Amino acid sequence: MSTAEQNRRLVWKRATAGLTPKPPDNIGRIYIPDRLLGWIIPVTVLLVWELLARLGVLPANWLPAPTVVGETIYQLAVAGDLLKHAGITIARVAVGFLLGASAGTLLGGLTGYLLVARKLLDPSLQALRSVPSIAWVPLFLLWLGIQETSKIALISVGAFFPVYLNLSVAMRHVDPKLLEVGKLYRLSSFQMVRRLILPAALPEYIVGLRSGLGLAWMFVVAAELLGASSGIGYLMVDGEMTGRAAVILASVILFAIFGKITDWAMNAVGRRLLGHRAR
Amino acid sequence: MVNSGFDQRGTVNIEVVHKAFSGSKGTLLALKDILLTIHPREFVCIVGGSGCGKTTLLRIIAGLETQYEGAVFLDGKKLIGTGLDRGVVFQEHRLLSWLTVHDNVGFGLAGLPPEERNKDIRHYISLVGLDQFEYEYPHQLSGGMSQRVAVARALVGRPEVLLLDEPFASLDALTRMRMQQEILRIWEAERTTVVLVTHDIEEAVYLADRVVILSPQPGTIRNILPVRLPRPRDRTDREFVRVRKSIHDELFAPGRMAHLAPDNL
Repeated sequence: MSTAEQNRRLVWKRATAGLTPKPPDNIGRIYIPDRLLGWIIPVTVLLVWELLARLGVLPANWLPAPTVVGETIYQLAVAGDLLKHAGITIARVAVGFLLGASAGTLLGGLTGYLLVARKLLDPSLQALRSVPSIAWVPLFLLWLGIQETSKIALISVGAFFPVYLNLSVAMRHVDPKLLEVGKLYRLSSFQMVRRLILPAALPEYIVGLRSGLGLAWMFVVAAELLGASSGIGYLMVDGEMTGRAAVILASVILFAIFGKITDWAMNAVGRRLLGHRAR
Repeated sequence: MVNSGFDQRGTVNIEVVHKAFSGSKGTLLALKDILLTIHPREFVCIVGGSGCGKTTLLRIIAGLETQYEGAVFLDGKKLIGTGLDRGVVFQEHRLLSWLTVHDNVGFGLAGLPPEERNKDIRHYISLVGLDQFEYEYPHQLSGGMSQRVAVARALVGRPEVLLLDEPFASLDALTRMRMQQEILRIWEAERTTVVLVTHDIEEAVYLADRVVILSPQPGTIRNILPVRLPRPRDRTDREFVRVRKSIHDELFAPGRMAHLAPDNL
């Protein structure tokens, strides 16, 4: 083959390089849908865990097999303990969250709208926020006793700050250009808040509610660990005292499930409220 | 230009003696001795470079700037603050993302029975050519469409004066030319007085009955040029080009004394 011939072939090859359809890359490979991809690691871990536990590599009183944990949850449910303990924990979270979020909404709205309120309240609230909330526990126990009140107070404190902070900041940061539109139409202060400021702040407010709810779940664990005679947190302590690792793990899983469900519900409500608007 | 008195609504008398902004670096004199009468149904464009105070002047007419020396009169009545007698379109559409086109247009429409309200809203959505988009949300609209909604919102209260602050500046060139034609069509349909602020000389010549040229620091009226070309105007027409050039020369001629054309006052 002459050099000229070789060159011509090379040029031809280059010119047609992008034209011939290439076979799809994934031929001969296993195709996994994206949404299944996230399941690979947890399922593998569970299988390995189960296997090691059954083979006796993991001591049963230290890390029982997933099926044993599942069995424990089932037993709790059959005995009625699950309903009782989960019910009381959910009630605590619900009441604490409602109180904290309401206070957060009220004070957040006030400081977000009124400069005077912000200057008056915000520094103190910010100072309180920097106290790790668990640090309140001894004081709450002293003041409010070991009964429900102190637990609900602690959960409220946890739910309060994200709601307060998000609403206050969002209301303060509403685009002044939009407020001018309200001014053009001579909206009253009340209409300005209702028709412009609150709708504009809504996405951030919902984010605040979601993190408030997350913290409420975190604090219910703390409250129940530190002194309770019922609730999923109490189950945990009980499991620890009696050396039943399966009960502890079952409680952890129950917390995860309930936390996820309420977050999903809150998210669904949020999406509903935000309607079709783009974020 | 014949001012036929107040028998037609939409006469704007501007008498801004002094408007300054005070900042950390002292005070900036934004506008000085702006005397201008805009006639009913007239289309006036205010041109000038950035910082000449043209937007400030429009905001004064709109009632969004209230700290100044002087007064603005609409049909002989002194204006205090904002009002529904003036519709405003900003450079950005400023639509509310949580409302549909329908609700955005009706945002400032208060105190009407629902049927009449809906009829008015539909009329103006239709006037700006967005019938099919009545229940879309702003994020589903293009820049030009959003600005059409803003125009409909400004007009729905049937203001006597429509104030436009560089309304097409952020649109691409083709959409801008399209919108310029549209605004003329809407103006002819609505018969309102229009004041449009722009830095685009061609836009001013294409649209205006009179072009008010502002010179900067402090913003004063350098000249007022009537554009007597019939509409629709041809941007390549010799007279069009000549007017455009003369405005260009006015804006870029250094040290020219501001003078007022005889038909200014």
